[in-house]
Amino acid sequence: MAAESGVFTFAPAIAVLPFVSFLVALFAGKYMPKKGAVAGIAATAGSLLLSLVMLAQVASGHAHHMELYTWVGGEGVPFELTFGILLDQLSTLMLVIVSTIAFLVHVFSLGYMNDEGETGLPRYYAELGLFSASMLAFVFSDNVLMAFMFFELVGLCSYLLIGFWFRRPGPASAAKKAFLVTRFGDYFFLIGVVGIFATFGTGTFGGPGVEESFPELAEAAIAGGASVNTFFGLSPRAWFGVLGLLVLGGVMGKSAQFPFHTWLPDAMEGPTPVSALIHAATMVAAGVYLVARMYGFYALLPTVLAVIAFVGGFTALFAATMGVVKDEIKQVLAYSTISQYGYIMLALGGGGYVAGVFHLTTHAVFKALLFLGAGSVIIAMHHNENMWDMGGLKDRMPVTYYAFLSGSLALAGIVPFSGFWSKDEVLYETLVHGLGGSPLLLAAYAMGLLAVFFTGFYTFRMVLLTFHGEPRTDLAEDPEPVRWNVKIPLAILGVLAAVIGVINLVPVHALESSVPEFLHDWLYHGPEGLNGEHYHELITSPEFAGYSAGAIPGLGELGTLFASAGLSLAVALAGSAVALALYRAPAPEEHTAKLGSLKTLLYENYYQDEYQVWLAQDLTEETVAKNAKRFDDGVVDGFVDRVSDVSLVSGHFLRRVQTGIVSNYAALITLGLVVLLVAFGIVGGWFGGVFA
Amino acid sequence: MAVPVQYYLVLSAAVFCIGLFGILTRRNALMFLMSVELMLNAANINFVAFSFQHGNLTGQVFSLFTMALAAAEVAVGIGIILVLYRNFADVDVTKATTLRW
Amino acid sequence: MMIEALVGLCLVGALVVFFAPDEYAGKLAFGWSLLPLALSALMYLNFDGRGNALLGGSLAFEEQFTWIALGPYELTWFMGLDGISMPLVVLSTLLTTLAILSAWTPIDERRNQFYGLVLFLEGSLIGVFGALDFFVWFVFWEAVLIPMYFLVGIWGGARRKYAAIKFFVYTNIASLVLFIGFFGLVFGLGDSISSLALPEIATALRAGELGPLAGGLIVPEQLRLLAFVAMFIGFGVKVPIVPFHTWLPDAHVEAPTPISVLLAGVLLKMGTYALLRFNFTMLPETARSLAVPIAAVAVISVIYGALLALGQSDLKRIVAYSSVSSMGYVILGLVAYTSYGIGGATFQMVSHGLISGLMFACVGVIYNVTHTREVGDMAGLADEMPLTVGALVAGAFAYAGLPLMAGFAAEFFIFVGAFQSTVIAGNGMAVMTALAMFGIVIVAGYLLWAMQRSLFGPFRFDGDYEVTRAARHDIAPLVVLIVVIIALGTFPNDTFFRMITDAVGPLVDGATAEAALGTGGGSP
Repeated sequence: MAAESGVFTFAPAIAVLPFVSFLVALFAGKYMPKKGAVAGIAATAGSLLLSLVMLAQVASGHAHHMELYTWVGGEGVPFELTFGILLDQLSTLMLVIVSTIAFLVHVFSLGYMNDEGETGLPRYYAELGLFSASMLAFVFSDNVLMAFMFFELVGLCSYLLIGFWFRRPGPASAAKKAFLVTRFGDYFFLIGVVGIFATFGTGTFGGPGVEESFPELAEAAIAGGASVNTFFGLSPRAWFGVLGLLVLGGVMGKSAQFPFHTWLPDAMEGPTPVSALIHAATMVAAGVYLVARMYGFYALLPTVLAVIAFVGGFTALFAATMGVVKDEIKQVLAYSTISQYGYIMLALGGGGYVAGVFHLTTHAVFKALLFLGAGSVIIAMHHNENMWDMGGLKDRMPVTYYAFLSGSLALAGIVPFSGFWSKDEVLYETLVHGLGGSPLLLAAYAMGLLAVFFTGFYTFRMVLLTFHGEPRTDLAEDPEPVRWNVKIPLAILGVLAAVIGVINLVPVHALESSVPEFLHDWLYHGPEGLNGEHYHELITSPEFAGYSAGAIPGLGELGTLFASAGLSLAVALAGSAVALALYRAPAPEEHTAKLGSLKTLLYENYYQDEYQVWLAQDLTEETVAKNAKRFDDGVVDGFVDRVSDVSLVSGHFLRRVQTGIVSNYAALITLGLVVLLVAFGIVGGWFGGVFA
Repeated sequence: MAVPVQYYLVLSAAVFCIGLFGILTRRNALMFLMSVELMLNAANINFVAFSFQHGNLTGQVFSLFTMALAAAEVAVGIGIILVLYRNFADVDVTKATTLRW
Repeated sequence: MMIEALVGLCLVGALVVFFAPDEYAGKLAFGWSLLPLALSALMYLNFDGRGNALLGGSLAFEEQFTWIALGPYELTWFMGLDGISMPLVVLSTLLTTLAILSAWTPIDERRNQFYGLVLFLEGSLIGVFGALDFFVWFVFWEAVLIPMYFLVGIWGGARRKYAAIKFFVYTNIASLVLFIGFFGLVFGLGDSISSLALPEIATALRAGELGPLAGGLIVPEQLRLLAFVAMFIGFGVKVPIVPFHTWLPDAHVEAPTPISVLLAGVLLKMGTYALLRFNFTMLPETARSLAVPIAAVAVISVIYGALLALGQSDLKRIVAYSSVSSMGYVILGLVAYTSYGIGGATFQMVSHGLISGLMFACVGVIYNVTHTREVGDMAGLADEMPLTVGALVAGAFAYAGLPLMAGFAAEFFIFVGAFQSTVIAGNGMAVMTALAMFGIVIVAGYLLWAMQRSLFGPFRFDGDYEVTRAARHDIAPLVVLIVVIIALGTFPNDTFFRMITDAVGPLVDGATAEAALGTGGGSP
């Protein structure tokens, strides 16, 4: 054990290093040559290195769990709240993804922020460091409370970074919106966390050496092997369903799922590297990662899984349609991000744990790439993000172009780029489980499939408008060159986006079983209770989720696999082809007008923002809060003031008794005495029964 | 023969009522003071009469105290009246009403 | 003699500063206030109390002797600390020192009197938290009002007289109500107690020795109920609970900032502290039987207070109303009767003291420079006053319950404790908790809204004053508070929570503790 934990004792450093860089950048950043960037780069490089070491360690069969310290504990409380680190297959994979992208984004920031002469850089790098630290800590959290805490902290960093250019009204407002919308989701999440502790007395996810974990307890409770503290007289299954849905609130907030997706497009007000890191690859992934992290819990609950799948499928389609008409490159990417996280939700809800994690991985790579590519274009265009002002950048910035193209092909799901493999697996898993007897999943699958078309369309519309055709402005004619610190991250990610799919070539494996499904095997060999195999058992067990795999009639398992892959590829190609047909021209025209009133609807994002702003501002703030204030000032405080008025007024009248004339007082005294005497006399019977 | 105690009480009541009447009707501060003296002395008569009746000297001792008190009171009272006169050029007690409220 | 020394230090300091030359008063008061701060820190480090002060725990720094023996009840000088009062004493000394520091800039007349009164206030506050005899406690309880009245009435804003009188009269009437309620209990206990020492009364009441009052007209059951309600209202005014909260915004807005810091930071805690000591310790059955209305009051305070804060445009009013909201959580935690609930409530007293203190201090620094607190009068202050704004942002997030800061820890404990509480049948407390938790969304809403409007965006300021950076001695209290808040939020157990739960333990009876362990509940 001691030898085994040798390397793992450094695990906390994965998060501590970026935290140190936060402190360094905050307090000493302005004295440093690159205003704190060096500290951040060094720290994230260290984290990446350590994450890789942990990954290797876990690969050699040593998943690890360690207690860091007790947040609250002791005799006085019924259960402890602790911090700990869980390093298993899932978390180490995610650690590597997060630290890789954080590292590359730090490097890219040198070009995007430092070279552009931005002010406030120490603040920027400090916040970036704090974000990296919180995100990494979230990933290796071993219990749901710690996860929630860092979940909130990444929310704070997101707020700070979106509002980095606080002098402009836009970012300040977008930051507020992002925090509030996710906060609304976190409200449910927090109830869920509280409920989990109240129900199970523990919030641990599980892992080697962990005696009690809430997914296991829940499993045992549903199977009837353990008694837990359920509420409202609900059966364990129903109550766990409630808990699952509550936690899902936070997931949907952070992962920008309908109807909490509205903050993400606004969040594009932040610097582009921030969008790449936080609002594409990592923080938005935190939500779905959480579902994957506690998949042992969700796999018990078919209703919640169906909700997850349906929300995911719907969001995938819904967001993709909005991405079709956007004019700003980052807006397209924002809606694309929402849509892609919909796919991951679809996979997880559809019983495809491996597929979900796979798409999470590939998406992190290619979406970070696309955002950084967009950042490169934005540098070149002097912060003009409108695609209609670009065009023809292909020849002027080839590195950006080829990297961006690689990411786009992955996003659109064109074989053999990474997105194809993962998206195909997502759809396949949903399809077979839907065919196995779940019409809801089939509906979600249909939406997901339809979204593939729109994805292909908006992706190539974006590529064509940005890079192809004739330059439409002078700046596009002669864009500002970008330097190595932009090109290198793009190149690295561009290669990765093309090839990362090899980690799980499911169709190839089905044909030629000597080609391994690395990710599948990797996740299936997790620690007890936390591995894909266990989840698969839960998913298929009739006692729990009760999914069963079906096949398209007459095709068999293999046939279904290839039919699904072929179908999604064909749809993706169709979408891309339409985009090519419409926007390939040297001077493409806007076709959106042909959509008629649909165009307005899409431009206005289905009026989602309007009703949410109405809820928050017009209803809550202007109506309820102002009336509460009026009520408080008028009625509650008014009552207090009236009480004091009554005493003042009555005093005003009563004081007239005091005339100031001594004779009156004397008369009053005499009169009072006489009255008293008479009264005593009557009561005491002095008058011999005259009054009796 | 000793005078029965009832006579003393009637005398005392009469003196007290005269004093009371004076306080209620007069406006002159000096008359006020004199009326108060009358009332105090009515009380003194009662003290002495009952003391005599019960054969107990406490009442008579108490009346001595009352006289001392009355003397002090007159001293203070006349002082107040002097100030009153200085301020209002009059000793009418109904004129000095500014201390109310 | 440690508590006496602490109180004495403050009172002597008050006298010395009161007659010190005006120009040195601020520095002298600050220097002097370091003495009680150091002493209380020393006491904290040497704290050795165990259990609850009123329920037979062993006290730290105990001192008891007969003071006045007249009539049926002996009045004793009885001082001592347990895990509930120790954190509050530290809070008082810390906040006083910081408030004095933050008064250097805004207070520019009659300084010696100002600081003298502040030190007098500190002494009285420590007395309230340290006293364990009703008579002594009540003397200190009332003594707090005196300096507060003058501090608001003399150095306050435009409507200071209205605010000071309202504060004084309101809380004084509340004192009367609680006094009547408490003495109803004392007379009901009759011969079963021989002194007004709170532990003795608590023990007698919990042992069910309450007799009838008014010749049998009021039976013990009614007496308990009446006394509970009277004391709840009496203390509730100080907390304040809705609907007895309206003195608070007026007092806060009119008080000079350092006094707002103390008012929100420590004075409100007197109310919740007394509720815990009197109502919830002495009359637990009554509290349980009234759990539904009490929890409802808590939820209403949280949500209604937060909505009111959302409706304000004066920064100080926003913070003032959000105090109403935050103190609602304390009530919710108290009524839960679980160790996390009551412990969290006590922790929230400390954490809210620090956080609201921080918020008021930040608003004060801004006011010193801009002479306005209206959200609409300024915009984009972040550029001009980066440190102050940074502190304000930190404070706002602490208020909004950001993890690893004290506010989250306290609120989470309360939520967990209240959620699993069984005081309301059918998991009613879980519903109440879920409702109250919505406060965390509204609080984020109004704080972020106010910050967006006043701190961010392009710089704009409508006043005639030049917006300059704040002095170092204005920033120092903010930094200290942020550090303490983060320390408490990150290490709640090692700072205060362990001693709090130790003291709270005897309050939480076996049945609830069992349910908390997950063995009870409605599952078949």
